[in-house]
Amino acid sequence: MIIVQYLARRLAFVIPLVLGIVFITFMLVRIGGQDAVGMLAGPMAGKAEVEMIRRNLGLDKPLWEQFFIYAQSVLQGDMGKSWQSGRPVLDEILTRISASLELLLISIALGTLVGVPVGLRAAMKPNKAFDQISRIASLISFSVPTYWMALMALFVFFLGLGWAPPPMGRLDLAVFPPATVTGSYFIDSLLAGDMQAAGSAAGHLVLPVLVFSLIIAAPTIKQTRAIALEVLGSDYIRLARLYGYGKGTIRRIALRNSFVPIITYIGAELATLLAAVALVELVFSWGGLGQWGLNAILFGDFAAVQGYVLVLALFASSVYLIVDLIVLIAEPRMRR
Amino acid sequence: MSLLSVRDLHVHFVKRDLKNQVRTAKALNGVTFELDQGQTLGMVGETGAGKSLTASSIMGGLAGSAKVVQGSIQFEGKELVGLDVETLNTIRGTGITIIVQSPLTSLDPLARIGEQLIRVQQEHAPISREDARNKALDMLRAVQIPEPERRMEAWPHEMSGGMAQRILIAMALVNGPRLLIADEPTTGLDVTVQAQVLDLLAGLVHSRNMATIIITHDLGVVSHYCTRIAVMFAGTIVETGAVDEVLNNPRHPYTRELIDSVPERIIDRGYRKVGRAPDLYHLPSGCLFRYRCPMAAEICHSVPPAKVVGPGHAARCHFAEQVNEAMPQAAMSQTAAS
Repeated sequence: MIIVQYLARRLAFVIPLVLGIVFITFMLVRIGGQDAVGMLAGPMAGKAEVEMIRRNLGLDKPLWEQFFIYAQSVLQGDMGKSWQSGRPVLDEILTRISASLELLLISIALGTLVGVPVGLRAAMKPNKAFDQISRIASLISFSVPTYWMALMALFVFFLGLGWAPPPMGRLDLAVFPPATVTGSYFIDSLLAGDMQAAGSAAGHLVLPVLVFSLIIAAPTIKQTRAIALEVLGSDYIRLARLYGYGKGTIRRIALRNSFVPIITYIGAELATLLAAVALVELVFSWGGLGQWGLNAILFGDFAAVQGYVLVLALFASSVYLIVDLIVLIAEPRMRR
Repeated sequence: MSLLSVRDLHVHFVKRDLKNQVRTAKALNGVTFELDQGQTLGMVGETGAGKSLTASSIMGGLAGSAKVVQGSIQFEGKELVGLDVETLNTIRGTGITIIVQSPLTSLDPLARIGEQLIRVQQEHAPISREDARNKALDMLRAVQIPEPERRMEAWPHEMSGGMAQRILIAMALVNGPRLLIADEPTTGLDVTVQAQVLDLLAGLVHSRNMATIIITHDLGVVSHYCTRIAVMFAGTIVETGAVDEVLNNPRHPYTRELIDSVPERIIDRGYRKVGRAPDLYHLPSGCLFRYRCPMAAEICHSVPPAKVVGPGHAARCHFAEQVNEAMPQAAMSQTAAS
């Protein structure tokens, strides 16, 4: 009952949220100082030509009118056209987002599966060898810039050892992509029974996933350790010890109480990762949403940038919604 | 044989500072006392005197850097010092139990009250959920929780402080312990609730013929609920005896000082400026109280023996016989508190 009410309240809040996001992305791109018309017209264009393009794009209209037109069409699912490709922004996003999600979801699963147990283990025996080693390891992978780690991984595993395929997309050139079901080439080729494509997709996934999951695992270790340490130092764990509870029971109580803050942290992290994946995509020519978005920003592709930021924001707010629901179920103090 | 016998207990905190030098804080320096069934011992003394540390030592709950370096703690004839956790866990929570001063944060926030009352039983005995549930309900009635059936389903965050302390008392007593340590059980509670909780506790302890240690700052609590008192200073018991005897006829200057610090006394006799506790990292030799003692003399550079000044009444002071008579009254040192 409470969950339904809560969900209704949260969903009602999404409407002003989306409007706000649309407004902010629109304004940010406008005041960004890039002149799309200039780029579109090229250096050889005359004054009259530039004016014509400006009029055709509707950029001669007042800003509020431009926003009104934009907001209206976005709500109808029309995000405009990318002037670089001439294709609708929505199509561009839909064809690319599965590539990003494939990389993102596998990496976050792996990063979490490594980060959380390592952090918990470190918190069980603080300042002992395991804790120190995991702390140094997470500090290093936390401090190294994403693109540099990706380049080094390529340097070692592609150039040096030759184990990894070249960083040019998600499949070998000679392999045909499978029919789209989930959007993940690897899973789709397995579903289609195409072992050659599956192998190629997996091979291309290994390095970017490795790099990105390391980047995700590092702060996860630190956060998990801090959360578990706080729980283990709490009054109720102290009393459980004084009441002679067994090790297993104490561990169970501690885990249960660490769960909600850890899930909250991972959710907040995940919400920002769709943007963070862009640099990894760029290095590996992944052809995902992030790479496309970065490109749009560089070339002042207004409609595309707006679409990109809007997708990032919608992704973040849906992740928050899901996390809030999980917390609501797991945490009695929320259900008042 | 006493139920609990603590002998010459020394506890040190050992740490390394930034220069990797070992620094030792001597927190307990030879605590000795005994406790029998049915007795209630009040432990008083200022913050840092070692009251809670004594309790933690008995419960085997010393924090990381604290270690028992000397002495023995025997419960029902069994040595507790140096016991491994598994064996210790067969005693604490069943034979010895504790209630703490922060009941609200000491309950597992993610388990219902009933669940926690059942858990504490099942951790110690192979008891069915049904039986454990019934015992939990009986216990909730015994601590006078209204609507116990409904409370079993409640969450800790739905409790008031007084209610949470009753739940904690129920958890502490449900396994039938012989010794209860109440570590400042009412510090966090409303004044009106304090008396209720203490009365309840006293009744339960009495009907079960348990031994109790009440750690408190409140001499009023001691005189009302305890049969014996132990006054602690800088990690030693400086005076012990029957409550009425010690409070009416203190034989250690520190006890005298404590009694004179009770608000009613201050109004009567004036406020006496007290000194600080000694630095546990650099304990002086001889009597630890001599730096702030109005009676200090040359002889106080040697460790005072525990002098027996009456039946069951002892004080660690060279001048134990003279204290109450010879010590300057508080009124002489300063005017009444304004």
